[in-house]
Amino acid sequence: MTAVEQEIRDAARRYLEQGEVNCVIGYERGPTGKARPAFIYKAEDADRLVWSSDCNLNLVSYLHNYKHAPRRGAPVPKVAVVVRPCDARAINLLLHEQQIQRENVKVIGVACDGSEVDGQVRSACQVCRDRIPVIYDVLVGSEQAVEAPEQQDDYADVVQMEDLAEGERLEYWLQEFDRCIRCYACRQVCPGCYCFECVAEQVDPHWTSIAMEVPEKYFFHLMRAFHLAGRCVACDACEAVCPMGIPLSKLNRKLAKEVEALFGYRTGDDPKKAPPLATFDPQERLRL
Amino acid sequence: MASDSVFEPKIVGFLCNWCSYAGADLAGTSRTPYPQNVRIIRVPCSGRVDPLFVLKAFQDGADGVMILGCHPGDCHYQQGNYFAQRRYALMHRLLEFTGVETARLHVDWVSASEGQKFAQVVTDFTEQVRALGPVAIKRQREAAVLPAQEVVA
Repeated sequence: MTAVEQEIRDAARRYLEQGEVNCVIGYERGPTGKARPAFIYKAEDADRLVWSSDCNLNLVSYLHNYKHAPRRGAPVPKVAVVVRPCDARAINLLLHEQQIQRENVKVIGVACDGSEVDGQVRSACQVCRDRIPVIYDVLVGSEQAVEAPEQQDDYADVVQMEDLAEGERLEYWLQEFDRCIRCYACRQVCPGCYCFECVAEQVDPHWTSIAMEVPEKYFFHLMRAFHLAGRCVACDACEAVCPMGIPLSKLNRKLAKEVEALFGYRTGDDPKKAPPLATFDPQERLRL
Repeated sequence: MASDSVFEPKIVGFLCNWCSYAGADLAGTSRTPYPQNVRIIRVPCSGRVDPLFVLKAFQDGADGVMILGCHPGDCHYQQGNYFAQRRYALMHRLLEFTGVETARLHVDWVSASEGQKFAQVVTDFTEQVRALGPVAIKRQREAAVLPAQEVVA
């Protein structure tokens, strides 16, 4: 057990013993040895919590399950959640969108130097600039132990894509989208995707059919990317869970790049600041 | 309308009720000719046009989509076209990134008194889309052929 794991368990146990939260959301070791989400309700279970480099989901998406009182008159549950710096940005996003209340959430922030998939450092973590979460109640892992990032993210993968010819880009994306099996796992793990009824499944109005055809898949993925324009926190959980390995982060990163260039906005920096598409500047004239 | 030699693009035009739709009306009443390729849909405001409308139009066979609204500062609802501007600035870049020509999506400001400008915008855009040819992401719809029913005497 690492020192970070010990600190997470201590924080979780303290919160549960003192009755500050009803539940702690973290990771535990699953039967196959992989890290999986864990929901800890009792202080004595806190020792189940683990932390390792394969903890690559965004646990903030589970906060949507604790937004409302379980029954009328009951209090809204209080939850503690273990977050990496990218996940912490999602907390700021949800705070801004009034999906969660600050007093109902305790944030156990973990100083992070990147998580891995199959022994490889994830592409999102290779370019990530954050080491310390932007918002936390308890900070786990010493700041010194985590190396500072060497350079700013230059969106090299996005620029490489932009430099392709138009026809090549189209062919690339149609091939990628063609593999999609429309399992919607990308949507399910996303902390920013919390519509009560998703456009992809809505029947009235019937935006898109359930056909397994490229135009429908193109529609779904562009719709999802655009709904996350200026809201994506680049946790890359969508890409991590995609069973077909579609490079979804490229779409999100393209929009993040443009949002940063046009509006100087980065998601989750400040819960008071509105995402760029939710506000406007009367003086600006953009290229249309 | 469509001949064998010339590609006639299908164009969907979302026109704001307060400016551009009135502008189109003016073009009509003043007998200004413009291409018939545009199918006009009246919306309350350019800010009402959800990017889903654009994706849906492409998916269902439009070759080009046009969004016309009031000039910045003239919005009937004060701010709708500013939201639209930000939205479609990003949408353009996203479509471009996925290989759909940006020239297929046109956002412009046409006021109620600009019948001439409306005709000009539609003419230019139609020619632009005609040059591009059919859109690649539309659903390849088979012509719905129902089995011939036997007539029971």
